[in-house]
Amino acid sequence: MPSQPPLPPLLTSYLSDQRESSLTLVSSILGATSNWLVLRYLYAALGTSSSSNISIGTDELSNGAKRKVVLVSFLRGWEFWRAEAKRLGLDLARLADKQQFAFVDGLSELFNSSSSASSAPINTGSTVRTTLPLRSQPGAVPGRGPPSAVTPGRPGTESLRQREPGAVKKLHFTGHGIAALDAMEKDVISEINRQKSSMTDGDEMLLILDQPDFLLAATGASMGVGATEMAEWVTGLQQQVHATVLTMAADSPLIHNASTSGNQLSTPIETEHAAFAIGMAHRAWSVMQLRTLETGAARDVSGVLRISRGGGWTAEAEDNLGERELLYYIQRDGGVRVFGRGES
Amino acid sequence: MSFRKRNIGLSAGVDRAAVPNASTQPAPLESSPGIRPSPDDGRPTTSTGAPSLDNLLAGHAGLPMGKLLLIEENGTTDFAGALLRYYAAEGVVQEQKIHVVGVPEQWGRSLPGLIGTAESLDEKRSDKRKDEKMKIAWRYERLGEFGAGVAGSRDVPNPTPAGEQETTAKPAFCHAFDLTKRLTHPGITNMSFIPLVPSRESPFTSILKQLQTSISSSASNTMHRIVIPSLLNPTIYPPNACQPEYVLQFFHSLKALLSANTARVTAMITLPLSLFPRSSGLVRWIELLSDGVIELCPFPHSADATATSGAATSVEEPPQGMLKTHRLPVLHERGGGSDQNVGQDWAFILSRRRFEIKPFSLPPADGDTEAQDASASSGMPKKSDLEF
Repeated sequence: MPSQPPLPPLLTSYLSDQRESSLTLVSSILGATSNWLVLRYLYAALGTSSSSNISIGTDELSNGAKRKVVLVSFLRGWEFWRAEAKRLGLDLARLADKQQFAFVDGLSELFNSSSSASSAPINTGSTVRTTLPLRSQPGAVPGRGPPSAVTPGRPGTESLRQREPGAVKKLHFTGHGIAALDAMEKDVISEINRQKSSMTDGDEMLLILDQPDFLLAATGASMGVGATEMAEWVTGLQQQVHATVLTMAADSPLIHNASTSGNQLSTPIETEHAAFAIGMAHRAWSVMQLRTLETGAARDVSGVLRISRGGGWTAEAEDNLGERELLYYIQRDGGVRVFGRGES
Repeated sequence: MSFRKRNIGLSAGVDRAAVPNASTQPAPLESSPGIRPSPDDGRPTTSTGAPSLDNLLAGHAGLPMGKLLLIEENGTTDFAGALLRYYAAEGVVQEQKIHVVGVPEQWGRSLPGLIGTAESLDEKRSDKRKDEKMKIAWRYERLGEFGAGVAGSRDVPNPTPAGEQETTAKPAFCHAFDLTKRLTHPGITNMSFIPLVPSRESPFTSILKQLQTSISSSASNTMHRIVIPSLLNPTIYPPNACQPEYVLQFFHSLKALLSANTARVTAMITLPLSLFPRSSGLVRWIELLSDGVIELCPFPHSADATATSGAATSVEEPPQGMLKTHRLPVLHERGGGSDQNVGQDWAFILSRRRFEIKPFSLPPADGDTEAQDASASSGMPKKSDLEF
C-alpha cells in the first residue's frame, strides 16, 4: 500500500484551524483509540512545511505566526508519543528543545510519586541528547527562565521541577479533591507559561489534554473529584491557551449506563463520566467521534470518524466546519487513509 | 580539504559518537533468552507460553515487552487460569522472574510440566516430516504466520530435540507444556509470591511497592513477568479492592511501571467476567487501561459442540468456547483495525498439551497448506458450501 501523507487531505482543514478559545472534543472507544488523531493534531500544529507550506525549513504558518503545543497525557508515556511522532517525521524532543512543544506526563508518577522518580527523567534526557547531535546544550535554551534550578527529584512534593533540557514535567495527584486538582492545574499552567515566555505576537498555543477523564474515574467522589470539578479544571486550563483539544473515552458502558432507562443501577463512576462527557460535548466547538464499524471489523477499515458541531458551536462565523462522517484506515506503517463511505 | 575537516569537527563527529550509544542499548535485550524481535516492527517480544495466542497478537508473534494483557473469562471455568499458567511456566523455563500476586505458593506448584518433544507432538508428526524435507524454511519456523492466522500452530519448538540438530543451537522462544504434569525446573525458585496484606487503605499499594522494588533492584537484563490471577475475585481480594479509585489507580501505576521498564516487564491479568460484567463502567476502564483485551466465552458443557462448529471433525477436538479479541497490544494503541486477526470469530480448545486458538467454523485461510492438509480429511468442501 502506498505511504500516506501525514495529514489526510480530508481532515486538514479540521485539524489545522482551531478557533480562538475553542474546545474540540475527541471521543474514542476501546477498539478505536484516538492516539492517531492526536498525533495528526500535533503534526498539523508543529509539522514542518515539507508537504503543504511553501517556506521550507521554517516553522511558520502562512500568516507568520508560530504554533506551540502543550500535550498533557494521562494514559501514554513520553516514549510512546516520541516514537509515534517520529513515524510521522516529527521530532518531538527537538521541538521541545526549541520551545515549541512541551509534554506533561500524567502517567509515570500520577499516583505513586515515590520510587521510579530517578529512572524516567534520565531516560528521556539521554534520548534527547542522542537525537540532538547538532546543538550544544546551552544554546538550545535561549528564552528559558532560570536554568540552574536542576533539583534531583524530590519525591512526594507536587512541585517537582526539573529544568534540565528535555526533562518531562510529571504530574502528581497528592491530597484531596479540588486542592489536588489545583496543584495539577498549576503545574500545567507553569508549563504553558514557560512556553509563552518565548511567544511573540500572533503565536497560537494549542493545549491537548489526552484522556483527563481517567483522572475522574480513578479518583471519584470519595477523593472529592466529580464531573463539575473536572469541568472547572478544564476551564481553568482552557483560559490560558488559544485552543484546546480534549480526548476522552465514550464507550457505551461509560455513557449509557448513567441513564435511568436501563434496568441496571448505575455506579458513580458511570454517572460522573457521563456527566463530564456530556458537559464537555456541550461546551465543545466541534466533536470528533471515533468508533468501530457497527457491522463488525473489516480488513480495510479501522473505524468511523464522525465530525459534528458541539454545543459551543456558534453560527455567526460561517466557518468551514462541515459535519460529516468518514472512514479511516490505519496502515501497518502508521499512515492513515481517510475516505468517505463508498470511496476507497 | 579544509571543508572536509570542518565537517568532521562540527557535526559528523558528534553523530558518530551518538550513534553507537543508541545502538548498543537494545543489543543485550535481544540476546536474552525468550526474547526476540517482532517480525512486524522489530520491537522485543516474549512468548505467552501458548503458541496460538502468540500468533493472535497482531503480527508480533508474541507479547511485546512492556505490555499488559488482560484475559477475561465468562462463567465458572478456568481456561484463563490455564493460559496464565502457561504464561508463568514459559517464564520459568526462560529463567525470567515471575511475580505472582494474591495467590499462595500452591499456585506455583501447579504449573504445567515441560514436555519432551517427540512424543508430545505426535499429532504434528506429518508437519515435522515436511519440515525435514524443507530445510530452507527452518529459520522462519518460529515466526508468526502472517497470512494464515493462527490455525496451524506449527511453531511449537522442540526443547530437547532428538533428531533435528538445527533447533538445538537456537534457544527456543516458546515451549510446550502438559497440564497433567507438574513443572520441575530450577528456574521455579525465581517465582515470588506477593500476598495481599489486609489494610484499610488500598490493598494494591503494598503489591505495587513490592513490584517496584524488586524490578528496580534487579539486574538490568532480568526479564520480569507479572502474573495476577483472577483479579478482584472476592475469595482473594478484600471487598474494598473493587472500589474504582483503588483498582484503577493500581492499573494506572502498573502501566506506569511497565512503561518505565518497557524493555523487560510484561504482565498478564485475568478477570472473572461473571462477577464484573463488561457492561460496567469499572471493567471498561480496566480494559481501557490494558494494552490487550481478550475475552473467553466457554460453551456450556452440555451443548453439542460438534453441531455448533462445522470445523469439528472426528479427528479434531470440538471447540470449547469462543474467543474474542477486543484490543490487541500496539495495534490498537496506534488506532487499530488493520490486522487480519481482528474481527474474526475465534474458537479455543484446551487440551492436555496445548491451548489452541483457531478460526471458528471457517476453513483455514488459503495459503496455509499444512493446516489444510491437517483438516483435509473431511469437512472442507462442505464448509465452503455452507458459507454462501
